[in-house]
Amino acid sequence: MYSDLLSALPEVIGFSNFAAVIIGVIAGIVVGAMPGLSATMAISVLVPFTFGLEPLVALGLMAGIYNGAMYGGAIPAVLLRIPGTPAAVATTFDGYPMAQKGEGGFALQVAVVSSAIGGIASAFALMLLAPPLSKVTLLFGPSEVFWVAVFGLASIIFLLGGNPVKGLISACFGVFVSVIGADPIYGTDRFTFGQLEMLDGISIVILLVGLYALPPVIDLLETPLKTDGVESSKLGTEPIWKAMPRMKGFWKTWLRSSVIGIWIGILPGAGGSMAAFMSYNEARRSSKNPEKWGEGEPEGVAASETANNADTASALIPALTLGIPGTAVAAVMLGGLLVHGLQPGPMLFRENPDVVFGFMWQFLFGAILLILLGGSLATNSFARLLNLPRPLLGSVIIVLMLIGVYSIHGRMFDVYLMLGFGAVGWVMDKLKFPLPPVVLGLILGGFAEENLRLALRIGRGDWGVLFQNTTSLILVALTVAVIVGPIVKRRILDRRKQAES
Amino acid sequence: MSNRLTRPETLTALGIVVVAAGFLVPAAALRPISALLPVAMLIGLIVLSVVLLISDQRKAAAGEAAQPMTKSPKRVFGAFALIVAYALAADFIGFYVSTVVAVPLTAFLFGFRNPLGLALATVIVVGAIWLIFDFGMSQDFPAGRLWAA
Repeated sequence: MYSDLLSALPEVIGFSNFAAVIIGVIAGIVVGAMPGLSATMAISVLVPFTFGLEPLVALGLMAGIYNGAMYGGAIPAVLLRIPGTPAAVATTFDGYPMAQKGEGGFALQVAVVSSAIGGIASAFALMLLAPPLSKVTLLFGPSEVFWVAVFGLASIIFLLGGNPVKGLISACFGVFVSVIGADPIYGTDRFTFGQLEMLDGISIVILLVGLYALPPVIDLLETPLKTDGVESSKLGTEPIWKAMPRMKGFWKTWLRSSVIGIWIGILPGAGGSMAAFMSYNEARRSSKNPEKWGEGEPEGVAASETANNADTASALIPALTLGIPGTAVAAVMLGGLLVHGLQPGPMLFRENPDVVFGFMWQFLFGAILLILLGGSLATNSFARLLNLPRPLLGSVIIVLMLIGVYSIHGRMFDVYLMLGFGAVGWVMDKLKFPLPPVVLGLILGGFAEENLRLALRIGRGDWGVLFQNTTSLILVALTVAVIVGPIVKRRILDRRKQAES
Repeated sequence: MSNRLTRPETLTALGIVVVAAGFLVPAAALRPISALLPVAMLIGLIVLSVVLLISDQRKAAAGEAAQPMTKSPKRVFGAFALIVAYALAADFIGFYVSTVVAVPLTAFLFGFRNPLGLALATVIVVGAIWLIFDFGMSQDFPAGRLWAA
């Protein structure tokens, strides 16, 4: 099997295949950096254009876009607090405060290096672990998948600190939005009020653009014109090789986040957002100064960006071996494979080893190219974004938001829906309701419901089915620990303070 | 009394209770298994909002002033109105015409008044959109319902 991996290498480094990866990475960074445009959307648009291309050229473009977009999402997340992609939400927590402190350039360098490391680790995982790990994934039944979703939600609610009641309200709102549309099993309408546009549910991009792009645009326009844009020197931009020594201490975070990202990527349905949130949470827990997180801690950017790129290639492990896409992007990529007559599954490795292993090499090269292409683009071009006059930047973002949301299905209904979410997001932002639980609620809500119902069907309505195996019980214990842990810790700290006073 | 009820957090909590209760009506018509998660979330929203309401009212009773949501209500309202007007214009008049007007108008009204900068920005933005999306990706944009009718 691994000899096929080496045999596929010469073709991948051929001019057209390698050029496709380079073009893909650059296009991916640009798309990821534009709020409202996602890798999923870019690859969906790209798929019809790849009909006439060689499979490896088409797949190279997709691999490049995926890698590039996962990093590109960090650029507006750091500079404008607008995550370019859903997976970059956790990057805003510390990336944006860093930009405000004049360290935006360093934040972007941390992001690009971490993204490349995560991407490289993920590509190796895909190359080495695809066949054996696919067997592990098979052990996860619906009840385990349900508990993974619950664990993901619980960790984000209690990760952010602040008011847990507001966090829970945000999560309930997100999960409720996820159930809008046709019932996944019976197909009956739920809360669509006769709107055909809502039958397929509410796209995460609509919610994301509304919640994360509109409030900052209103803020840009609310504050009177100030030309206090950050100059390249104020951003703290320096050559990447000079910035590298400052990242020496991040190796534990890179390692931990790569493992989390790869693991989450393998689990069907979880995706980069969950990987980034979980990785951020775990890195903060392990930090010596967790109280500084959220105020501009570079390791927070490293944790989030490593994990969301470590999720890219690994999300293709179940997709390529079993035909089960780990993320939305992986699902679109499966469509791209099918366009070229490549049927995902165990036979793909036997019948088209040059293509499938070539695709894996392209992921590795895409990740390595991030440092060369993303590094220079990020430090020299995108860092200047803050120099744009605020009202002009606001008006351009409004146009991009409309294009991004309209492009999903080609209808204005989505734009109006996005504006509605934007108004809700603005109120939530001003009243300090955390926004990430809404996004995670939407990502995991439908996923949790589907698997819960499937588990109950298997158990013939017996709720005990959710606690019948060791994996489920471990996940339940982890969820309880995530909820109870901070409460116990707070009480211990309170008692210590009382004792000291 | 009225001041206590017009606190932003109180108004939000009341709003959530009303909307969530409203959604419980169509939820009642669903099969029990289909209604399980949505009803759990709606009841969760109502209970949590009541907790939020009580907490905010306690703060009010203790004399704690509510933080205003914005320092410039007119600018915020204006920004929202402009964005909604742009979306409606794109829908009814067409994307390109609306964008050519909206980009410089928004920037001008909110303080960027350099005519050359405005013209240049409009040309670059609209030109780039046409080149990348329309020409490059064959992406269709709203042509305007008024012209289609």
